[in-house]
Amino acid sequence: MDSRSGNWRQKFPKWLTPSVILVSLAVLLILIFSLTSFFIVDQTEDAVLTRFGKYYTTVGPGLHYKLPFGIDRSYNVPVKLIQTEQFGFRTVKSGATSTYSNNRTSESTMLTGDLNIVDVEWIIQYRIMDSRAWLFNVNRDVRNSTIRDISQSVINALVGDRAILDIIGPERTAIETGAIPMMNDKLKEFGLGVTVINVQLQNIVPPSGVQASFEDVNKAIQDMNRLINEGKEAYNAEIPKAAGEAEKLIEIAQGYAVERVNRAKGDVARFNSVYAEYRKAPEVTRKRLYLETIEDLFGDEKGTTLVDKKLDNLLPIKTLEKTTEKGAN
Amino acid sequence: MKSSTKILTVIAVLLVLSVIVNPFYTIEEGTQVVVTRFGKIVDSSAMAGLHSKTPFLDTVITYPKTVMSLEGDSQRIPTKENQFIVVDTTSRWRITDPVKFYESVTSVEASYSRLSDIIDSAVRTVITSASLNDVVRSSNLINERRHEENFALGADVQDVQLPQITGDKVIYESISRGRDRLSVEMAAIAKDKVKEFGVELLDIVLRQIKYSDELTESVYNRMIKERSQIAQTFRSTGEGKKAEWMGKLENEKKNLLSVAYNKAEKIKGDADAEASRIYAESYSRDPEFYGFWKSIETYRKTVPNFDKILSTDMDFFKYLYSPNGR
Repeated sequence: MDSRSGNWRQKFPKWLTPSVILVSLAVLLILIFSLTSFFIVDQTEDAVLTRFGKYYTTVGPGLHYKLPFGIDRSYNVPVKLIQTEQFGFRTVKSGATSTYSNNRTSESTMLTGDLNIVDVEWIIQYRIMDSRAWLFNVNRDVRNSTIRDISQSVINALVGDRAILDIIGPERTAIETGAIPMMNDKLKEFGLGVTVINVQLQNIVPPSGVQASFEDVNKAIQDMNRLINEGKEAYNAEIPKAAGEAEKLIEIAQGYAVERVNRAKGDVARFNSVYAEYRKAPEVTRKRLYLETIEDLFGDEKGTTLVDKKLDNLLPIKTLEKTTEKGAN
Repeated sequence: MKSSTKILTVIAVLLVLSVIVNPFYTIEEGTQVVVTRFGKIVDSSAMAGLHSKTPFLDTVITYPKTVMSLEGDSQRIPTKENQFIVVDTTSRWRITDPVKFYESVTSVEASYSRLSDIIDSAVRTVITSASLNDVVRSSNLINERRHEENFALGADVQDVQLPQITGDKVIYESISRGRDRLSVEMAAIAKDKVKEFGVELLDIVLRQIKYSDELTESVYNRMIKERSQIAQTFRSTGEGKKAEWMGKLENEKKNLLSVAYNKAEKIKGDADAEASRIYAESYSRDPEFYGFWKSIETYRKTVPNFDKILSTDMDFFKYLYSPNGR
């Protein structure tokens, strides 16, 4: 062991001489120098330079040089990028068909001006306008949360100023457009160097506990339509039928009328003809008509009893006879 | 070989010295420092850049100069009407006097709980003095709006008038302070107290206000009642309309049939009259003959139905007993 370590110690200086160390140090120095003195700024970014910690300058996209060894420091800030914050929901997977996770009620539940509860989801889009202010005015850990806090308080205030039905319906746009300057005023107050470009309300729904009853109103509207249609249906089913019935009554009456008049005319025509003949020989015609009628009446008749009023007791006998005849049958 | 060893030694010594006896320090943008010597503050600066200090003796303590944020606890606070609401606040602050800050709290971590106590109490003080309306609303804007609800009623119900379905226009209690004003009041109360820490409080923001769980339940019930009342209105409107149609149906049906009956009877009557006239016109020329003729016509129809016992008294038998008649 000893001899081997002695050998190693003897060998050590042979190739690791102080000049080699010096040269390698110099190479290392140059490496560190080049690594800490050039930096790249993307098209979407600006870079802020500090010298000894103090703001020095802001540069645009491209390859830049700075003093090495941390004397100059560069901070890249995405000033062209439009950034988004989501409230009440999060995009779980972004893509052609994104998936979202909803129901972050800790953010979305709000009180409305008429003291109801509503769930509001929204997004804001903002851009860093002043990279120096963005970097140095607000603590780096709370920059995002500051934007979120301001956005939340503004939307809460706007929702708190309106009635729930207005929020769900007509006041949506007013909230969106009103929120932008309010947020920007606040952001400016803190010198965040950020401008909100867009506020978009997403879902505005009643809280889940009462959604069913809101739905029920829609169902009730459907019910109302159904009932009205039922009424109309019955009406449409009956009225044309009744109109037909009415028409039928009239038609029948008209038929009756025509028949009645025609019969009268016929009767009269017959009478007139007979009468014309009668007028020519009244006595004979009258007798003839009478006798013809009697002949027709009794001509074919059998068993008719002829009674002479002067005879007695015939009637009861005849009656008896008839009864026995019937009995025999 | 010897000279390079020397250079190497010099570099090493310089390096060690510059670390141990470094007389320089930088203040980064967004930070500020206090410099203490044996525990005593000798300097403080908020100017970013390169600064010098006495080596070995001076300690540099760095504080942020930037705006800091403080999450308030979600507090359950009763309003003036004794309704419990959950108030979620957040506030911004920054260290304006690092010397005072060093003296009173020393570290940023320690300052959070101190500030939190002051801010929470300010929030509590202001909220308990305010009405629920004051906390929720910022202005009286709500009374300028007409709270009309638009329902998708469908084409079938254009004739439906829904009177006052969402009730009368409610005039809400007008407020004098409002949410923004309350925020300012809270901040004002807390501002004086945090000044002792060398801290400036920028604002207290009411981030979110919620009803307490018990209150939420009763608010839900109220909302449900409101909705079901509207739903009921729709349903009974539908039923009313249906009844209306049924009534209309009954009415028109009766109307149609009775008008038709009326017409029919009139037609029949007219025909009867006409027939009567025709008969009368003709028959009145010889009523006696008509009587005879009609009688024998009628006999033809009626007499065959009778059981007949003829009497020889009849005119027909006038010649039965004698060729000369009776």
